[in-house]
Amino acid sequence: MKRLLVLVVIAVLAFTSISIAAPRRGGTIRVGLNADPPNMDPHQSTAAVDRQVFQNLFDKLVDINQDLEIVPMLATSWTISENGRVYTFRLRTNVVFHDGTPFNAEAVKYNFDRMLDRSFGSLRFSEVNLVTNVQVVDNLTVRITLEKPYSPFLSIMADRAGMMVSPTAARQAGKGFSLQPVGTGPYRFVEKRPQERIVLERFDRHWDRNAGNAQQIIYRPFTDENARLANLRAGELDMIDAVAPSEVPRLRTDPQLKMAERVGIGWQGMWIQVESGIFANKALRQALNATIDRRTLVRVVFGETAEPGNGPFPPGMFTHSIPANSRVPERNLDLARQKLREGGQPNGFGFTLKVTPGRTPQQVAQVIQSMAGEVGIRVNIEIVEFGALLSQLDAHRFEASLLGWSGRPDPDANIYGFFVTGGTLNNSAYANSRVDALMDAARILTTPEQRRRAYTDVMNILNEDLPYLFLWWPKDYKVYSPKLQGFVHVPDGMMRFRHVWLNP
Amino acid sequence: MMRGPRAADLALAPAAEERPRTRHTYGFRYLLRRFARNRLALVGLWVVMLIIVFAVFASWIAPYSPIKPDFVNLLKPPDTGHLMGTDDLGRDVLSRVIFGTRTSLLAGVISVGIAVMAGLPLGLVSGYYRGRLDDLLMRITDAMLSFPFLVLALTIAAVLGAGLDRAMIAIGIVFMPAFIRLSRGQVLSEREQNYVEAARALGAGDGRIIWKHILPNIISPVLVQASLATAAAITAEAALSFLGLGTQPPTPSWGSMLNFAQAYLSTAPWMAIYPGLAIFITVLALNLLGDGLREALDPRLR
Repeated sequence: MKRLLVLVVIAVLAFTSISIAAPRRGGTIRVGLNADPPNMDPHQSTAAVDRQVFQNLFDKLVDINQDLEIVPMLATSWTISENGRVYTFRLRTNVVFHDGTPFNAEAVKYNFDRMLDRSFGSLRFSEVNLVTNVQVVDNLTVRITLEKPYSPFLSIMADRAGMMVSPTAARQAGKGFSLQPVGTGPYRFVEKRPQERIVLERFDRHWDRNAGNAQQIIYRPFTDENARLANLRAGELDMIDAVAPSEVPRLRTDPQLKMAERVGIGWQGMWIQVESGIFANKALRQALNATIDRRTLVRVVFGETAEPGNGPFPPGMFTHSIPANSRVPERNLDLARQKLREGGQPNGFGFTLKVTPGRTPQQVAQVIQSMAGEVGIRVNIEIVEFGALLSQLDAHRFEASLLGWSGRPDPDANIYGFFVTGGTLNNSAYANSRVDALMDAARILTTPEQRRRAYTDVMNILNEDLPYLFLWWPKDYKVYSPKLQGFVHVPDGMMRFRHVWLNP
Repeated sequence: MMRGPRAADLALAPAAEERPRTRHTYGFRYLLRRFARNRLALVGLWVVMLIIVFAVFASWIAPYSPIKPDFVNLLKPPDTGHLMGTDDLGRDVLSRVIFGTRTSLLAGVISVGIAVMAGLPLGLVSGYYRGRLDDLLMRITDAMLSFPFLVLALTIAAVLGAGLDRAMIAIGIVFMPAFIRLSRGQVLSEREQNYVEAARALGAGDGRIIWKHILPNIISPVLVQASLATAAAITAEAALSFLGLGTQPPTPSWGSMLNFAQAYLSTAPWMAIYPGLAIFITVLALNLLGDGLREALDPRLR
């Protein structure tokens, strides 16, 4: 009897492992997004949520994998010249856009022309403006020349700037391309009803015969995280993006649902405006920093859903191990009091911390308020609507504010624009020529080891100057039905469905 | 309007005191007796008084600080140390509920105060003088009343910005038209009464008539309306705070407590139950009190 049972178990195991090995065709993947994607043109899009849909609608020149390495996609191979300025891409054969237009070197050239066309006003312009020339070498070879060496270039090609749109469709539609996007991806666009759904359908002529297992993908926006999860539980969805931290421990053991979890590539913390006002005084920034217990903050507000951090490079990035980035400082109230004396405010001081509406920022703000209060630093919390807060940060009209960055695979995109003098994302109004020079150097240096050294110096300075208090690295969560198979969780948080399939 | 009594009015003042008995002069004791006959209303009154005591003496009654986090005792279920458990930042829910009475009562009383202070004079003037001014005021109130209550409050609060003080102004503005309408309607019927005619015949000026003769006669429905509106204002403050436009952290408010409790509904239900109960009990008590007042003051029920 026992032997029979063992045999049955083995048979069942064998059967299930076979079903895992062989992807199943057909079905509809229903996805719950945290917002309605506003724009379907990768050259015009600004919202992060757009990129979720783009992953399946468009192919990129290259992609990133689980370990944040660059892997081939539309380009099968590439070479970089000795001086780091010329990138030559060898393109994949037999690739067509959804409208039948062939994909070739001319199409790549058209895409760069579109992004660089000032009259079109692409939001990708600043990402590719170092490109001085795109040369069609032959039908399937394209040579891109940069003004100066720029080591993050390949990682830029693994995101929106590397997504290839159909020249025929884009010429015809102009700005209206967003309404009828055409790419080479494994899924083609069917319809988008604002605030309701986006429907994609399998593209039968995709170059990857193994891609596009499901027949359809339907994206639906749910801004409320509880509603999103409830719909997944009710079987209305197959996968959702992001969950409330308080749900994570239960989801980990939930027999009905699967959860994918990993540290993302973004960073979170507090902007400090260093140009004017109380925080122009560096010692006071250091005093505030010394009062914060990052481990407790993360435990209280995020539980297991974030990691305490001290820099812009979360685990997984090759620059993560830089000590000034990965070593989380201990809380030190004596140091805080000493810095208050140094800063000429021995009895403490007050400042206004602006936060966006929503639970998490308010919780973080209250924890910081309580921690800073112990040495007499009075934190006045002010809730400001997201759009208004962004414009106030842009104009440096604030003292401190909680806002982070969703992150990009290359370290450069996680640090450069935020701390370079006059940078568009430099909310602190921080200016340090040494930091500028080091970050520029890191863009030119080609080996990871050289770049890591440059960023080590940058981080040592930032840790002393504190224009931003890096506090935590959020983890990325996807929750899905056990029917959904073959999902690979890439740290950029994007849901790539090309090799995913649905079991009945 | 009228700075001082005119000569004729002054001369006849003693006579005016002996004018036909106006209806507002039932004795206070009589009213109290009538009120006390309504058991539910008495319960309402006691509860409201208890809540006022909580609000006034919150710092003595509450066992813990309502705003100081305790990072060791997060989301603790109710026990003898924390009778209502602790919240997401380890703060005592009981203490926060007790301090929340302050926020709620303040929001209720001040926003209704704003509504009455602005609405009552406008209604009096509008109903007494009629004409163009009345038309204008009535169209404005019509416009304001045509908005769903919460939509208008949200709009005003969004324009004014987040904060308890601004939320109270927003709620006050939203409640104002109801008081304009009510007082105007009362004045319309009162101004035709004999005692008003008599006062006018005796030479009383408009200001005196409105203030001394009409106002006392229309005040009881306004009081009833105010007590009911206070309950609604408390709910409104809770709603605005729930949506992040009211009380700002870390100040406790029942509405904002509920807002935060939302994320822990399945893991820490006590975070939601107690502030929810507090709102429920307070609003119920105020409504019972208001109903009792109405019955006691309504002449038709005598």
